[in-house]
Amino acid sequence: MSNFLSYLINGLAVGCGFALIGSGLVAIHRVTRIVNFAQAMFAVVAGLSAASFLSAGLPHGVAEIAAVLVAVAAGVLVGLLAMGRRGTSPLSSLIITLGVGIFAYAVEVMIWGDQPRSFPGLRGSFTIAGATVQKQYLLVIAVTAVTFTALALFFNRTYAGKGLTACASNPYAARVVGIDPRRMGLLAFGLGGALGGIAGVLVTPLQPISFDSDVTLIVNGFAAAIFGGLVRPGAALAGGLVLGVAEAMVAGYGKASYQIEVALGLMLALMIWQAVRTPALQEETA
Amino acid sequence: MSGMSGMAGLLARLRGNGEPAGIRLPHLAGLFALTMVLAATLGEAQLSVFILLGLAAMVTVGVSLLMGYAGQVSLGQAAFYAVGGYTAGLMSVHGLPPLLGLLAAPVVAALFATVIGIPLLRLRGHHLAFATLATQLILLSLAGELEFLGGSIGLQGIPRFGAGGLELENDRGYAFLTWGALAVVVLVARNVIESRQGRGLRALATSEIAAESAGVAVGRAKLAVFALSAAFAGLAGGIYAYYVGYIAPGSFPILLSIEYVVMAVVGGLGTIWGALAGATAIVLLIQLLNNVGTMEGMPSYAPSVLSYAVYSLLLIAAVLFMPGGLVPAVRARLSSRSAGAT
Repeated sequence: MSNFLSYLINGLAVGCGFALIGSGLVAIHRVTRIVNFAQAMFAVVAGLSAASFLSAGLPHGVAEIAAVLVAVAAGVLVGLLAMGRRGTSPLSSLIITLGVGIFAYAVEVMIWGDQPRSFPGLRGSFTIAGATVQKQYLLVIAVTAVTFTALALFFNRTYAGKGLTACASNPYAARVVGIDPRRMGLLAFGLGGALGGIAGVLVTPLQPISFDSDVTLIVNGFAAAIFGGLVRPGAALAGGLVLGVAEAMVAGYGKASYQIEVALGLMLALMIWQAVRTPALQEETA
Repeated sequence: MSGMSGMAGLLARLRGNGEPAGIRLPHLAGLFALTMVLAATLGEAQLSVFILLGLAAMVTVGVSLLMGYAGQVSLGQAAFYAVGGYTAGLMSVHGLPPLLGLLAAPVVAALFATVIGIPLLRLRGHHLAFATLATQLILLSLAGELEFLGGSIGLQGIPRFGAGGLELENDRGYAFLTWGALAVVVLVARNVIESRQGRGLRALATSEIAAESAGVAVGRAKLAVFALSAAFAGLAGGIYAYYVGYIAPGSFPILLSIEYVVMAVVGGLGTIWGALAGATAIVLLIQLLNNVGTMEGMPSYAPSVLSYAVYSLLLIAAVLFMPGGLVPAVRARLSSRSAGAT
């Protein structure tokens, strides 16, 4: 039982990371129709930046926030490139973000080298029901909860958030009422950068991160986002948590190296199930 | 503007509209003769690059067909390369004749593609892109686990390739083998493009629904191209296994799959010349950068940083500014010049 509880909390914390990356993908996709392959790069950049800021002597809190701001800047930059010129199709944009992600490898290796880095998070642990739980895991879960609440408030209560939702549901009508879809697109990319960055600074103390950690992160983030059909952030949260817990249980009771098979198998099954249910005609004209 | 219409837009843009996509037989014969002369005359130092170029071109021809004709993006093409490599390696390590291993490599890769393609090809666009990426990750993880595939250490001591009494002892033999195999691949690809089915595929990339209504068996056509591209990659992987004599999960990273996409996009999708030109341009450029990066006084990370930067910038520039790719762009240049002269 105590094992189960600690696997569960581990899984929830790791799943929070996937959920944050997945919701960043969703935030960008619903407004711009672009699947941002460089989404996990934001997490890597923020994680590595936070490690550097901390070793440069910035206090905890300030360093992490600064690192998230770096990720926001990266997000806006990626957005400028990915939205490209007028008429760049979403799939061209996917390939551009793929390119940006690899370009980031060059920059990251130059700045931080190719070895994994980490930094200490919240120290200490405590025991509930016989299970030892590190405080950092609880911090990850708490910050994720706050982030998703803020995200919901942002989309529903603020002018910019409603503008994003308007662009998501009908870009043409949004333009008619004076919303600039391109600016909204950049805002979405900035938001995606922030969400990815938060994931990065939260997860790096749990598992060291290196420039090429982004492949695993993006695939898991995409898997989380798929739960909501790439348009619902709330479903991405649920998806991320399910994935995280499933992986932790496989690692705990089975074999750690089979986590990736389970997570990706789940994602493939889900996508195929969704595709079978959606007739091709609807997809082509949507 | 999502889903298929976006995809059709990309493909129409990337495909160099209206360009002759195939390759004329005399040109192919000329190219074959040239590469055989190169294989016979190149120095030892250049031969290994020449072989790796041939292998990359073989995979890229398949990627280009898949993206340009069947309208499918594969971010996991190195998975089929790996299947071919492991098939050939495993059979030879267990004492089967290398020729059998080499023939089995493309067959097993194509069978594997058919089996996973039946469910996966229901997906489109970015879903399929991620699904192929996921397939490769799963395969690499499995290869790292399974005892009989050598685990993460991989297969060692794969014997050299030979058939009959002949054994390929040096790089020159492998250069002939690689480029001979590439000629076969190009010939097969050409025949597919020029065939009735090829025209059906072309319609499919623009609009699946229109193609289907015109009587193209869309599902079967997509699966066939998927399997064919896997066979090309598997053949290249088989040759690679004999050439290097050692394969491991680490020999087939995700980045390798992305390199093939870069080569195909830069050269121009859906054209055989484009695939050949894209592979050549990128392999030579990377080789040049490697030489620069390993010069004295350069930091140890220079070669990898330079190659990441070049891959990414070429890919982005090609999509944004040269959507038809290298070959159609040059062709358009030439034809406008000759039109101006007359």
